[in-house]
Amino acid sequence: MNADAKVLVAPAKKKKKPASLDRKKARAGWWFVLPFVAIFIAVYVPIIFDSIRFSFHELEIQATGGYDLIFIGWDNYQEALFVDAGYVTTLAAGIRQLILDIPAIVIFSLFMAVMLNDKMPGRTLFRAIFFIPVILSTGIIDSIDQSNSMMTYMGSTEGISTGAEESQTTANEIISAMDIQKLFANMKVGQGLVDYVVGLVNDIYNIVNRSGVQMLIFLAGLQSINPAIYESCRIDGASSWETFWKITFPMISPMILVNTIYTVIDSFTSESNQVMAYIDNIYRTAANGQVLSSAMSWMYFLIVILMIALVAGLLSMYIFYQRRD
Amino acid sequence: MDAPKVLKDNKRKIKVEFERTSLAERMKVKYLSGSFAVKLIWKIFRYLLLIGISYIIIFPFFVKIFGSFMSRDDLVDATVRLIPKYPTLDTYKYIIRENSYFTAFFNTFVLSTLCAFVQTIICSIIGYGLAKFKFRGNKLVFMAVILTMIVPHDTIKLSMYMNFKFFDIFGIYGGIAELLNLEATSIDLINSYWPMVILSIGGIAFKNGLYIFMMRQFFKGVPDELEEAAYIDGENVFGTFVKIILPISIPMMITIFLFAFSWQWTDNFYTDLFFTQSGAILMPRIVKVPTTLADDSFAAQGLYESCIKNTCGLLIILPLLLFYSYLQKYLIQGIERSGIVG
Repeated sequence: MNADAKVLVAPAKKKKKPASLDRKKARAGWWFVLPFVAIFIAVYVPIIFDSIRFSFHELEIQATGGYDLIFIGWDNYQEALFVDAGYVTTLAAGIRQLILDIPAIVIFSLFMAVMLNDKMPGRTLFRAIFFIPVILSTGIIDSIDQSNSMMTYMGSTEGISTGAEESQTTANEIISAMDIQKLFANMKVGQGLVDYVVGLVNDIYNIVNRSGVQMLIFLAGLQSINPAIYESCRIDGASSWETFWKITFPMISPMILVNTIYTVIDSFTSESNQVMAYIDNIYRTAANGQVLSSAMSWMYFLIVILMIALVAGLLSMYIFYQRRD
Repeated sequence: MDAPKVLKDNKRKIKVEFERTSLAERMKVKYLSGSFAVKLIWKIFRYLLLIGISYIIIFPFFVKIFGSFMSRDDLVDATVRLIPKYPTLDTYKYIIRENSYFTAFFNTFVLSTLCAFVQTIICSIIGYGLAKFKFRGNKLVFMAVILTMIVPHDTIKLSMYMNFKFFDIFGIYGGIAELLNLEATSIDLINSYWPMVILSIGGIAFKNGLYIFMMRQFFKGVPDELEEAAYIDGENVFGTFVKIILPISIPMMITIFLFAFSWQWTDNFYTDLFFTQSGAILMPRIVKVPTTLADDSFAAQGLYESCIKNTCGLLIILPLLLFYSYLQKYLIQGIERSGIVG
């Protein structure tokens, strides 16, 4: 017995040598992430640190260059929460909007990805069209579009349309033509849901524009599902409806988590977000607005982080991971 | 149906006679069944939906294109809805001439190419490091990557500006400057390409977290055996990366390059933040009304300016559109092969 045990122990000890070689190799990983780590510590951390620091100070930029900071404690936060007129209401409205938009964007992009994944004539063309917004509707183009819709709201556009809102009008017309509202009302699903769905259809241009990357991620997920699983399903006589819910949906569920989190991040960091627009406005106009705005956005950031944690926690309970060994 | 008749021709050959269902019967079974109807309805529905949404995506572009050819007469003419009656090229002419389109094009091209190139390489390297090496702190670094993605740019706008306006790493430059009795204790990097380059080298520029994440997922799908084979052949870690891994990840890298290039091209956040001088002309800067076309006495001036701004937008995305139509097949390919799995 004793001798056997020794024999058993000996190889275990020997195994340590290759382990150290592995570790040596693993350490080479540091060289790959070095540029990120170096700049992260040297540039990004000070930026974050300063931003938090600024939110506790009053800022005075000197004429000679350089700046003075006067410590004022939690005053900026207090001002944002209790003195500033619009912040809390904008924040509440923004978060409500975010919560309503997330399921819409995720479900829409999943649906579209499933459609674009099917083999059919014209698939390449449709894919190319669907990903146009990913490439083009960002940055300056986005802000031009926004100023367009602002013009419409102010009522200065008559007769001629300037773009985005034309599609929305079309969607509106389709809705009223189909009497969707009446249809839903007859189904007795509750006015709130009806309003929500109608609101989404009215906002379809916006949703399409914001779900490009999510569609790509879903498409990648769909592509990675082994076709053999579908084949065996077909042989067993499953309909495509059953296949979707029993195979596609569980297999794609990790992607749903990724996309939900991405959607939260994307919509709350984008400039079209109303809270961000409000904060940006404070940054540019209010007295001491530059530091006040950083206090505001840090609070917003905290709330969104909490939201992400909540969503991730909730969703990860239902996620199915296929072991790929 | 009767059982098939078997006729014996000779010893080695038999002939089987089936009673074949008529063509009409077969067609009936194939096309009049419930499942066919469901499939057909689904197909029609799918095409309707796809075409409808494509219309929603494309139509605004048409409106903008038509609007860009409109002259003032069109805007006050109530009968003009979409197609201009008095088309003119003035809008394009004055934007290109007075908003210095070509300078902006050149500057932005240099900046975007530089940033996209650096970001693609750096994000691949970082993604590879995170995907394939289990060094201590791997998870921590990944968390940091996610953090850079989550923190909104507006939050750190001011401190980013300050840090690059008075650029100094841990006071090292200030210390050296003091030793040498220099006046400036920090470097002013505003109005140069340096802030963008520094952020790109670190992989913390705009949306770089997403690129790193995508590359990491891609490399996770690359089988380890590939590298092990290279190690056995005596290649070191870096040689393996350059000679084996990079060539197979080209579709994915083109995808990243496409994203990085076009998002940098239209970016107005960093452009506004880091280029405060009016002299630095980049693409977002050309979005303004040319002085020749500015005329407040004109009744529909607001609408006209909106058309002009849309034309600026069109001029900005025109090169991107060409770029996209050329590279979009790689976009899908790269994503399809990435095998992004949670």
